[in-house]
Amino acid sequence: MGSIKRISKELTELTESPPEGITVELADESNVYEWKVIMEGPESSPYYNGKFLVKLSLPTEYPFKPPTVSFATKIYHPNVTNDEKGSMCLGMLRADEWKPSSKIAAVLQFARQLLSEPMPDDAVEGRIAEQYKNDRGRYEEVAREWTRKHAC
Amino acid sequence: MSTSVTASTSLPDSRPSRLRRFSLRTYTQNLSLPSGQRSYRHSLSSRIPWRSSNPDSISPTANSTTSPCPESDHPTLSRYTSAPAPSYGFGTELNSQVSSTESAASTPSNDLAQTSNSMARLRSISAVHRPPPRTLERATTNSQESTPSPEPGPVQSNAAEPTSAPADGRVTPSKSETKATIRFFPYQDSLQSSRPSLPFVPVARTLPSESCVIRVGRYSERDGVPLPNPTEPSDAPVGFKSKVVSRKHCEFLYVNGQWHIKDVGSSSGTFLNHMRLSQPNMVSRLYSIKDGDIVQLGIDFRGGEEMIFRCVRIRVECNRSWQQQPNEFNKNTESLIKNLGKGETADYSGCRECSICLGSVLRPYQCLFMAACAHVWHYKCISRLLHSPDYPMFQCPNCRAFTDLSAEVDDSNDPEEKREKEKKEPAEDRASNDSGEQAETEVPSVVETNSVQGPPDELGDLPEEENLANDVENLHLQDDQQTDYTRNSASPAPNSSSDDLARSATTNIPGWQPTQPLSVPAGRQSQLRSDTPTSDDNPLTPRNDSGPLAFDGRAGMP
Repeated sequence: MGSIKRISKELTELTESPPEGITVELADESNVYEWKVIMEGPESSPYYNGKFLVKLSLPTEYPFKPPTVSFATKIYHPNVTNDEKGSMCLGMLRADEWKPSSKIAAVLQFARQLLSEPMPDDAVEGRIAEQYKNDRGRYEEVAREWTRKHAC
Repeated sequence: MSTSVTASTSLPDSRPSRLRRFSLRTYTQNLSLPSGQRSYRHSLSSRIPWRSSNPDSISPTANSTTSPCPESDHPTLSRYTSAPAPSYGFGTELNSQVSSTESAASTPSNDLAQTSNSMARLRSISAVHRPPPRTLERATTNSQESTPSPEPGPVQSNAAEPTSAPADGRVTPSKSETKATIRFFPYQDSLQSSRPSLPFVPVARTLPSESCVIRVGRYSERDGVPLPNPTEPSDAPVGFKSKVVSRKHCEFLYVNGQWHIKDVGSSSGTFLNHMRLSQPNMVSRLYSIKDGDIVQLGIDFRGGEEMIFRCVRIRVECNRSWQQQPNEFNKNTESLIKNLGKGETADYSGCRECSICLGSVLRPYQCLFMAACAHVWHYKCISRLLHSPDYPMFQCPNCRAFTDLSAEVDDSNDPEEKREKEKKEPAEDRASNDSGEQAETEVPSVVETNSVQGPPDELGDLPEEENLANDVENLHLQDDQQTDYTRNSASPAPNSSSDDLARSATTNIPGWQPTQPLSVPAGRQSQLRSDTPTSDDNPLTPRNDSGPLAFDGRAGMP
């Protein structure tokens, strides 16, 4: 149950001094393992002005196991699955890459960074990644449209 | 002061009286010393071994050859002084120096030093090691006399001396600072395949020079058995006991400050992060590798059921030696840890957080675990990672440095400490010689002033006067010398001693009559003569004993 202590500590830290464009709260006050994160689209990205609901769930073994990040709001992005799950693939969240010393704040900042700089080589949506690499303009157009439609 | 002068005016010659005053002063000075300086000396002695425990700070020749005590005593003493052996050598040198120069006739002190237990020796060291700040000039010349060349001397004898192991260790790290290091750890790919790879003992290499190459291949009896973790720089080949590893499989090279790997024509391939470097039996180009890369040698044969057919997976750790050396971070950690026991006065401002629970670590009353990289966690928090399936191997969750938790404890001296001591060494060296010299000259002076002090004052009319006066002349010549240099550098003492002198004079004078204590000095003289030698090794003792005696003798005669 050491994890609860750490999680609440991180939660306090994040609510007291939230990183830019990120607000966090518990999805359910009685459950510290499920977080509701509101992520604002970075200015330099086609997601600008969008507010994305991100679900962050922590395993009970946290911090020894990585958290998982998923987009509840639909988003047109090469690294986020275009399904109802909206799972995000983050390198640092892979089991062998994860370090217990990484904090949720870092995870969220990394996720937001990914919005402005997608990683097509690490993509889960190959089609979007293709488009991102070959037809940046079209990609941005669609992403902006999706943002307007789903995230505003 | 003036009273003492008037008291001694009865003597024919005024000069001796002046000298006597000197002697008296030294005497009272000596008397006044023990109370004040004892603690100082003790604290000094307890500190000195720490700071001077560098083997170079002593003259090992004296240590090994003239040391009156057997080598086997080292551990005990070093345990007492809570410093490695060299501190002992320090002491013996003093002892031997003192005993040899002080009296060739082997005063009891010599025997005493030999027979007494290490504690007594310690005490004697502490006593002997008295006033380092004094007589620096003299001491320098002395040290030059006694140890012809303090610098080169140690180097030679260190090599021969068994206790000099740390000195050898000191050389290595300083070298390896600039050297390229690489370490190989067994890596179990938990995700890709469930099959375990070949287990092996972690291997560490430090290149003796940049042009060296570390060859990796199948283990062969012919190559001999190279140490997996030599302490010296080495480019010994690394062998793995697997049939899927070719005899000449791959090489690790250090080019332009970067580690590289090259397949040298292996048949079953070298894989860097799952990418095969070359076709079978072809030499590959150089591929740069970085810390944490995974290198696989060969592919499992026959399903890798048998150990001998398993591939080798290596996690490479490059140039992490800086972590094993003193750096800002681990020095900081050290100081934080030292702070732990200091209770409320401790300063926790630099306190770190446990990266597992994010709580503060390095506070008192907690079980902590510190990895070799000086990262610290609560034991409770980190224990999950310690007792993992990889058990003896532990990867720091903060910096990913690998540690073999089952590795032998390295209790050789901290190179850092040694280096710091080295800096202090010359001063220490001098100090040691200084105090040795000081004690050596001082001890006799104590004896003589004590014995002399009584007679001229009180035996003024006795027939031996002339002889004594002669003696006194001679002695005072020495004394003069001595008081001169003690006064030169020991400014704080005279003040207190003159006070003491005044007091002792006034207390003495009222009941003092020239004729009264005549019989006393004779007895006292012999007493002193017989007394002092036994305590030669400890100049404290005679002062303590003789002081009260003098007063008692007079006080007892109303």
